Amino acid sequence: MANTHDNHEPSDNDSEPVSADGDLYGVLAEYDTPGELLEAARKVRDAGYTEFDTYSPFPVHGMDEAMGIKRTILPLVVWGGGFTGLIGAVFLQWWMNAYNWPWNISGKPAWSMPANVPIAFEGTILFSVLSAFFGMWILNKLPQVWHPFFRSDRFGKVTDDTFLLGIEAKDKRFDQTSTTKLLQDAGAIAIENVFLETDPRRKTMPKFLFAIIVSSTAFALIPFAIAAKARNSHSNQPHFHIFPDMDFQPKYKSDTADDLFADGRANRGEIAGTVARGQLNADDEFYRGLAHGTGGEPQWTTGFPKQIEINDALVQRGQNRFNIYCTPCHGYDGRGLGAVPQRVAAGGGAWPARNLVEGGGVASKMPNGQLFNTISNGMGTMQGYAAQIPHADRWAIVLYVRALQRSQHAADTDVPADQKGSIR
Amino acid sequence: MSALVKTLHPDEKIKAGNIGKTMTRAGLGIALVFFAISIILTLTGSASGGHDSKWARFFHAYLIGWSFIFSLSIGMIWIVILHHLVRGRWVTAIRRICEAMACAFPIIFLAGLGFMLPLLFGYEDLYYWAHHDAHNEILNHHLLHKLNFWLTPGFFFVRYCFYGVLFSAIAWYFMKKSRQQDESGDPKISETLRIASGPAMVLYSVATCFFAYDILMTIAPKWYSTMYGVNFWGSACVGGFSALALIVIGIQRTGRLTHSVTAEHYHDIGKWMYSFTFFWAYTAFSQFMLQWYGNMPEETHWYRYRMFGEWKWVSILMVVGYWAFPFAILMSRWTKRIVPSLVFFAVWQLVFHWLDLYWNVMPSYDWNIAYHGATKIVAGPLTGSVSQHHVGFSPVDITVWIALCGVFLVGVGRNLKGNLIPTKDPTLPLSLAHEVQ
Amino acid sequence: MSAENAEHHAEPGDQPGKAREAFRDVTRDVAWVAEAPKPHKAWLAALTIAVILLSIGVISIYHLVTTGIGVWGNSNSVDWAWDITNFVWWIGIGHAGTLISAVLFLTRQSWRTSINRAAEAMTIFAVMCALLFPLLHTGRPWFAWWMIPHPNDMGMWPQFRSPLMWDVFAVSTYGLTSVLFWYMGLVPDLATFRDRCAAKGDKVRALIYGLVSLGWRGSARQWHRYERAYLILAGLATPLVFSVHSVVSFDFATSQLPGWHTTIFPPYFVAGAIFSGFAMVLTLMLPLRYLFNLHHIIKESHIGAMCKIMLATGMMVGLAYATELFIAWYSGNLYEKFAFWNRALGPFWWSYFLMISCNVLVPQLFWFKKIREKPVIIFILCIFVNIGMWFERFVIIATSLARSFMPSMWSYYHPTRWDIGLFLGTIGLFSTMFLLFFRYVPVIAMAEVKGVMPEAHAGKKGH
Repeated sequence: MANTHDNHEPSDNDSEPVSADGDLYGVLAEYDTPGELLEAARKVRDAGYTEFDTYSPFPVHGMDEAMGIKRTILPLVVWGGGFTGLIGAVFLQWWMNAYNWPWNISGKPAWSMPANVPIAFEGTILFSVLSAFFGMWILNKLPQVWHPFFRSDRFGKVTDDTFLLGIEAKDKRFDQTSTTKLLQDAGAIAIENVFLETDPRRKTMPKFLFAIIVSSTAFALIPFAIAAKARNSHSNQPHFHIFPDMDFQPKYKSDTADDLFADGRANRGEIAGTVARGQLNADDEFYRGLAHGTGGEPQWTTGFPKQIEINDALVQRGQNRFNIYCTPCHGYDGRGLGAVPQRVAAGGGAWPARNLVEGGGVASKMPNGQLFNTISNGMGTMQGYAAQIPHADRWAIVLYVRALQRSQHAADTDVPADQKGSIR
Repeated sequence: MSALVKTLHPDEKIKAGNIGKTMTRAGLGIALVFFAISIILTLTGSASGGHDSKWARFFHAYLIGWSFIFSLSIGMIWIVILHHLVRGRWVTAIRRICEAMACAFPIIFLAGLGFMLPLLFGYEDLYYWAHHDAHNEILNHHLLHKLNFWLTPGFFFVRYCFYGVLFSAIAWYFMKKSRQQDESGDPKISETLRIASGPAMVLYSVATCFFAYDILMTIAPKWYSTMYGVNFWGSACVGGFSALALIVIGIQRTGRLTHSVTAEHYHDIGKWMYSFTFFWAYTAFSQFMLQWYGNMPEETHWYRYRMFGEWKWVSILMVVGYWAFPFAILMSRWTKRIVPSLVFFAVWQLVFHWLDLYWNVMPSYDWNIAYHGATKIVAGPLTGSVSQHHVGFSPVDITVWIALCGVFLVGVGRNLKGNLIPTKDPTLPLSLAHEVQ
Repeated sequence: MSAENAEHHAEPGDQPGKAREAFRDVTRDVAWVAEAPKPHKAWLAALTIAVILLSIGVISIYHLVTTGIGVWGNSNSVDWAWDITNFVWWIGIGHAGTLISAVLFLTRQSWRTSINRAAEAMTIFAVMCALLFPLLHTGRPWFAWWMIPHPNDMGMWPQFRSPLMWDVFAVSTYGLTSVLFWYMGLVPDLATFRDRCAAKGDKVRALIYGLVSLGWRGSARQWHRYERAYLILAGLATPLVFSVHSVVSFDFATSQLPGWHTTIFPPYFVAGAIFSGFAMVLTLMLPLRYLFNLHHIIKESHIGAMCKIMLATGMMVGLAYATELFIAWYSGNLYEKFAFWNRALGPFWWSYFLMISCNVLVPQLFWFKKIREKPVIIFILCIFVNIGMWFERFVIIATSLARSFMPSMWSYYHPTRWDIGLFLGTIGLFSTMFLLFFRYVPVIAMAEVKGVMPEAHAGKKGH
């Protein structure tokens, strides 16, 4: 029967804590083979002990049953973790890609279930793995770097080749003599009493370890502190660039000056003899108001180009556009007394705008194409509006001007029957 | 791991006795009755789905039911070859039954002549590529050039015979050697089989893949998928192991093998069912997702038929019933170990395995849609709606299936004779003592 | 396996202490590698070479990150080349480790215990090497953190519908799982090291090993939960391995490029990964077995089994090649047919030839038992397999890209010295990590080996 009582007194100079024995913690019994350990465990369980355990370098097959170990709840924990992972991954993808900011990615539906399966799967596995791993250590109450049985040298050989059975003294049925006898009868090749440590200095964490833990925690918090400060403060300094190479690019932006070209501009004009796509504008009638001639000089077209459909909607559009662009000078009635001429006249100057609707006037005699050209390129004090008004809208304005002209010289008979009542 | 051994229980009934005969007779009876019903139903029915002949439905159902029974044997041959290849231990106790199921191949192939011979002799309404319209299309459709050579009834039949001879030969060889070992107890036979299992596995794999391309993928000759063979094999193994569970438990009901086959073996059969359910889902999803993602019309039309209209519900049912539900429940340890639950899931998976084959074939049944492009959605499996186009549901689909299951029982029953367990196989003691951890 | 268990007919329980001596032998045989005061000369030589290669890699990375992707040979047509080839190659190698750990565990192959620790370590280091490539090939790797969803004031989220995002999740889950699984297996062995150091009075080492072994004491109650967790992790790692390489294959298969877009890629890539992974395991283990006298732990039968697994997975890869060729013809699709004709007869025909000879022809030698018994030959064949599998990915990637839909985009590809340097650097990284692991961490799973030895059942009744 080996016995590792150690009754040294603490030495006088106290530099080295010395092991001292306190109360009995438990009894360790050593067995030669795994089979014998198994039998012993069975006997101990049958005898009604509960605060006992066996220790071996590998899990002994059949030990769970011999000791009466209940099946662990770990699989349920893993199931719960996996389910959480699945729901979480699905929700993450739905919320981020289909709800919060849906993008059109190659026409796929925003909520693309087949495309979301792989990550949902990985999320399930990830959370299951984390639950299994951390769940197991937590249920095993590890890390637990110290256990009273480590006071026994024999215990240090468990991880090599030794099979031990330990019964704790706090077990209800524990009795020094009968327990020892039970273990011996089961075939123990050695029995050892293990006592608790009493020296308080050996029971606390070494100071340097404590220092390491505290300082590393403190260091770990530094990045978060920096981030918190950055998010909650203001700065007038420009951002700093860790990798500046694409933030300051050696290229010219439009409308800047440069010294590369002789004219000092970054903008380059159109290249002579080229036409930009979509800007060929070959149709003379639509784009320039010129009639498709039968030869000889081009003439202004008198009708409307075939792309223009004459209908009420176009007239309305023409009115809308006329009111925006033309009325400041020509007025709402087309007589040339718009806000601009009136204002200039009030100040003593003159800014004549054409009367578009007078019978026999210039505007009335102009063919449609020429009207179109005037809108596009201007005449006299009028600027050209080609840059502001697209071609189709210019034709709409032409149509409206014609409507205005007609309306100012209408006869009674031109008024529709249902409107007659509204004329005074 | 555990080096436990056990010998055959002295009271164990290992002789087949007359259960083989009983199974054969029952199978024959079922086959005859249900074929008769099917024929009557077909004769009193009418042509549908753009086919000229009223037998088209019958032959499609025949093809599906036949592929079903073929796939059960495919799964069983695989486990026999694998067992020898890796010197497995746990299967030995039930391996004779696997061999019996695998040796149903000759009968299955004879039954397959039921649709192959008509095809060979000019029946045009089963495979579109055999129809004269398809040949007219070659002139216009570059995708169908293979009709010139690969998909002609003659060459197709030659390949069919090749598969028949190959699978039957492999199954027969493994069964024969195994029975030989019952007599002589010669451990060298195990070694011979181990050496044979390598080349056998290679031939088996290639033949199974090409079988799937030929018999099932050509139903939709304009479509293709390199995964098809592997997907078929995965599904086949689900069916195979489910059928194995039922047959083993059925044999035990007659008082045989009651000590040799234990909850441990059920657990392992259940594990294979479970793994292959997952494997099928993996291959089926990969095939679907990749063709969905690539969005190439020459591939997606096959899935389009199965994603919209009434077929959508069948597809969803497959995901839930063929994968999700068995996967969730069979995960647990005890559902695989107790007979009622294993039987329930075996039957469940067999039904869904048939449904998988049905889903593979039937959306292409209505040629108005598949080949004349009438609408984008295929007429449903239940109501057959979408104007004149008709898939609908026909009792013939089920009766022919049951008839062919009867044929399968004939095929298996023929091989259930002599010892039901390889008595002198050196790994038998390990298999009998087998414990799942 | 029946031939394996013929060994169990010895009756170890007969002689007291005999079983325990066997366990002690295992501990000693494995621990002496880490406890030797001076490292083995071969180890030092290998480490020197590894560190040199690693330095080449560091320089290549520095040059790449500061200058840009232009230093590589990638072009507008062949925009993925060595970078993604290497990524897939390394990930594939990692998969064998998980297979050995998890799948061989689930199929109760006890011979795995001699190699699983080293194989798991190999996985972790391979994943580390692999991850460098997707990170660096982005060109601005300092933005990589945007792939992790986090709240930001642009309301910007990752695009989860992309296979490249699936890769991020799959490979990180895989890396993390491998580390956790490896560490969990290590804890009992680290406890062994702790106790040996404590017994010898080496306090510093005992403290370090003590902390990382979490105070493990071999309690049966703890073993119960430990075993359960091990089984669960093995059960989870198996579908994970399948899913990771499947997701990697989705990078290609979800595209529309002929040669890339094909449904068989997931299982084909997984089989290929296992194939190349086992070749790498053997490439590492055979020399180590020779140098450190581990012949009785890593047995001939184990090596033979690994050769057979390579044969099987190599044939699966070959079947996939044949399937692709057949379906390319069957489909009638002009672009598909051209893609495969071009692979064999186009400008990259030499890489296709290498691929076929190394992946299909070379493994056929493993049919022969005489070959499976000669470690030197196996070592050489495994190198060929690794080369062949590298070329398989290169063929898929570069050949298909160099001859895509528009002839105006057709080009050829040449690697630059920086491509090569980075690849050599990852070999250096891998080797360095592995050599360090070998020296300081228990290289064989002692507790697991002891658990499957016949002596583990010594003294049990009913044997």
